[in-house]
Amino acid sequence: MESVVITITSGKGGVGKTTCAANIGSALAILGKKVVLIDGDIGLRNLDIVMGLENRIVYDAVDFIEGRCRLKQALIRDKRAAELYLLPTAQTRDKSAINAGQMVRLCDEMRGDFDYIIIDSPAGIEQGFHTCLAPANRCLVVTNPEVSSVRDADRVIGLIEAAEKGPAQLIINRIVAARVKRQEMLSTEDITEVLSTPIIGIVPEDENILTSSNRGQPIVMNGKSPAAMAFQDIARRITGEDIPLQPLRASGSLLQRLFSRA
Amino acid sequence: MNIFKQLFGSNNTAETAKQRLRFVLIHDRAEIPPGLLELIKDDIITALSHRVPVDREGVVVQFEQHNNESRVLVDVPLLVLNGERKSVRRKA
Repeated sequence: MESVVITITSGKGGVGKTTCAANIGSALAILGKKVVLIDGDIGLRNLDIVMGLENRIVYDAVDFIEGRCRLKQALIRDKRAAELYLLPTAQTRDKSAINAGQMVRLCDEMRGDFDYIIIDSPAGIEQGFHTCLAPANRCLVVTNPEVSSVRDADRVIGLIEAAEKGPAQLIINRIVAARVKRQEMLSTEDITEVLSTPIIGIVPEDENILTSSNRGQPIVMNGKSPAAMAFQDIARRITGEDIPLQPLRASGSLLQRLFSRA
Repeated sequence: MNIFKQLFGSNNTAETAKQRLRFVLIHDRAEIPPGLLELIKDDIITALSHRVPVDREGVVVQFEQHNNESRVLVDVPLLVLNGERKSVRRKA
């Protein structure tokens, strides 16, 4: 088995990297793939709490790298899927605790055992980002349909290409069809045109995301909400299935529609 | 409370979020990973089991912080011959 290492990044913080990593990883595992999710955000770990695995942590990736535990002791098995694992990071260290070479060796150690190794990169373009980029075979850049995150995405896409890790693929997260229709929000086409980067998925704004992270249950694990279906589609595209991008529908709940009109 | 929760609270995930955050922040601040308590629990059960019969299912290990003071609270119910339980509470 030769793993594909996928790094999920964005430049700007708060656009949904961790949500994307948790859901794409879970969706791939539900498809029967063997998946490990690595939290790359040393010092600000969150993949554990979004996945609902925070109370299972004893050891983390830094403990393994510094020789305080074996890899198996740091890996947390998520029993909700057949083969889904989380490698949490340290909460009380900083980005310098793992360098690029160590991250590459960490991934190499797991390459034989997983179909997909998914790394949730920290925000920013400093060392932490470069560390997460180093082992990548594939990069997904998350952006929102909003000027600052699109600008930062462009910067990150450039850095990915400079590191010869491209071409990056784009996830447009939290899009609201009604607002695109009223031409008050950037459309998929607008963003493609500006960034000239292929899109791997469009995730609609979905109020169920908040309740799913409140509970620590990735949205793909229960239900068919709009965002869950978008993440399932992204997972299928990653495995090579040809799933056309779904046209956005101005649906959502009545409440959402009322709010988006206001 | 449970019935109330089931009837009205099924979508009350904010409370769930608050409880989970409270738990995780205690551990973040103390720099003690949550899973460590499970290991401590196993160690205590093993240690006490050498001397007294322990009700393994009932063992509770909690971490607390008050005014710069951290402590691990361990509640170990014992299995006593006549079937009654006695609780040993110790502070570490």
